[in-house]
Amino acid sequence: MIESLRSKSKELLENGTVSLVIGYAEGSKKGKTKPFFAYSSEDCDKLTFSPQCVNNLTIYLTRKFTFMKKGKVAIVAKGCDVKTINVLIQENQLKRDDVIILGMSCDGVVGKDIVHDGEQLPDENKSIKCLTCDVKTPIDYDHLFGEEIKSEALEPMTGGIYDAVKEVKAMSWSDRWKYWMDHFERCIKCYACKKVCPLCYCDVCITEKSRPQWIETSAHARGNYAWNIKRAMDLAGRCTFCGECDRSCPAEIPLNIINQELAMTVYDSFENYTAGYQTDVTPPFVSFKEEDKEDFIK
Amino acid sequence: MSVNQLSEDAFYNLIDDLNSKGTTVVAPVRNEVGMVQYEKVTSSKDNFAFDEVIGRYSPKDAFFPQHETVLRYREGENGVEVKAEEPEINDTVLLGIRPCDAAAMISLNKVFTWDYIDNLFTERRKKAVIISIACNEADESCYCTSVGFAPDGKEGSDLLFSKIKGGGYLAEALTDEGETFIANNSTCFSKKDKSVELEPIAEVTDLGVNIEHIKRWLDKKENFEHKVWDDLAAKCVGCGGCTFVCPTCHCFDLVDEPYGDQGKRVKNWDGCQFDHFTLHASGHNPREHQPQRWRNRFHCKFKIYPDRFEKKGCVGCGRCIRVCPVNLDITEAMIEITAMES
Repeated sequence: MIESLRSKSKELLENGTVSLVIGYAEGSKKGKTKPFFAYSSEDCDKLTFSPQCVNNLTIYLTRKFTFMKKGKVAIVAKGCDVKTINVLIQENQLKRDDVIILGMSCDGVVGKDIVHDGEQLPDENKSIKCLTCDVKTPIDYDHLFGEEIKSEALEPMTGGIYDAVKEVKAMSWSDRWKYWMDHFERCIKCYACKKVCPLCYCDVCITEKSRPQWIETSAHARGNYAWNIKRAMDLAGRCTFCGECDRSCPAEIPLNIINQELAMTVYDSFENYTAGYQTDVTPPFVSFKEEDKEDFIK
Repeated sequence: MSVNQLSEDAFYNLIDDLNSKGTTVVAPVRNEVGMVQYEKVTSSKDNFAFDEVIGRYSPKDAFFPQHETVLRYREGENGVEVKAEEPEINDTVLLGIRPCDAAAMISLNKVFTWDYIDNLFTERRKKAVIISIACNEADESCYCTSVGFAPDGKEGSDLLFSKIKGGGYLAEALTDEGETFIANNSTCFSKKDKSVELEPIAEVTDLGVNIEHIKRWLDKKENFEHKVWDDLAAKCVGCGGCTFVCPTCHCFDLVDEPYGDQGKRVKNWDGCQFDHFTLHASGHNPREHQPQRWRNRFHCKFKIYPDRFEKKGCVGCGRCIRVCPVNLDITEAMIEITAMES
């Protein structure tokens, strides 16, 4: 799998199809890999793939990283990462022809702070997103690496994170409020959540707008609440559950729960819409229908 | 300076004693989501984590809080009334921080007393006693010995506690404040027992780097635009994780938070890794791309701090490595630059 990934990457660079291959290399510490940019055949020998490849590399396709792009690029993408590419295409941030997808068959990556050696990854060491994964073989790719893995038929919005969301939703209003305020209290406003999110691609973020200051820079209860709610709302109907914000949060705020709570709401309210599976439909929050079921919008 | 010892029980009694005297005690505790943080503790029954390698965040916020009010203003009949905030600053004991973090306090103090005396910082520091506990364990991100510090280093602490085999601590006073602390809490301390045997001190990975060589390389103008910055830091996503967990990062922003005809000016942590940190009002940004911002942080640690404050900017706590979502490891840059300069 790794050998064929390397040789295909070399071929694409050597024949000039792409100028850059975005992939993974061994990390600096045990059980870690890191994002890696291969510009030459020599670089390609460092490319790797394993359950430690947790990063969603599609962040490097967004406008935050335009400085490093020179023409067409190839990207190593797991099934979950390809869903992000689909949303970027759907939102006109990327053209399908701009990118060569090196799709990886993936049976799960490691969960946060888990150090795992070897190929076989038991469920308890997997990231929670992998427990309900239905894209073990990516839904779109130019080249596929590894054996095709059939995803089991899953009950939508059930198991894994969805059960965790339901637990929080079952709380009383006051308990839920306390649950979230206790978590948001720990926020240190490092903004790792937005910086690792491939769908947070605005040139200027609302957090940087100071006239007026929409989101207070203070890490106090109001400032933290405003930021966390705002970030989650912006991802409603867009988040593909790559889980990068949750993984990167140094304050251990369960961002997967709030993001997927919104995803479930969108699923229920917009004809079972789930982000990342189609590029040719209008996302629910930018569509308008005269027959909208809500009166306030008419 | 004196060397005493205290038993495990006396150690926890000390926490209760200090609290009963009205002293604020800040110590490592495991919070409800499993992170170890330095927090105000109120009883010897708190969820302590003195054996944790190091807390997730640095204890710098005891002196330099992430968020604090510096003044309040109100529009009155005679124009704008401004009132400086004068927070009540309590006697504080930082109990059980690590020697690297204590050393970092010296570097921080230099910044906050450089051209302007930041009273909020200096008053808190003056009213605090820093008690470090020597490290018996290090993880693979620790590298204090490679930047000139040690797991049982004494810089920046008033007292150094070292774990005794079988329980309790050896307490070495390092400053007059440390001596006074022992005198004021004498019931908890006893004379050093001659046969006392200490737990072995942690072995920290030696990176084989040379910070003088790194500095020399950084001093050369032609290296400012060296391709190594792009090679290493193109992947940096520009979050503030590394700067916010760093014990020597000290940048902050002053912002007004208005409410109608009144408001407050607050001092909030800021970080050089944010894209708008150097953004000018004109729209020009001298550090336009992320590798330039990352280069700045590296310069700050290994060149700016030594040049301007004659202090080390990096104490090797390893937090920036642990927290980085893209495994951007500062030690890789240190190793690479050392190799280029040697």
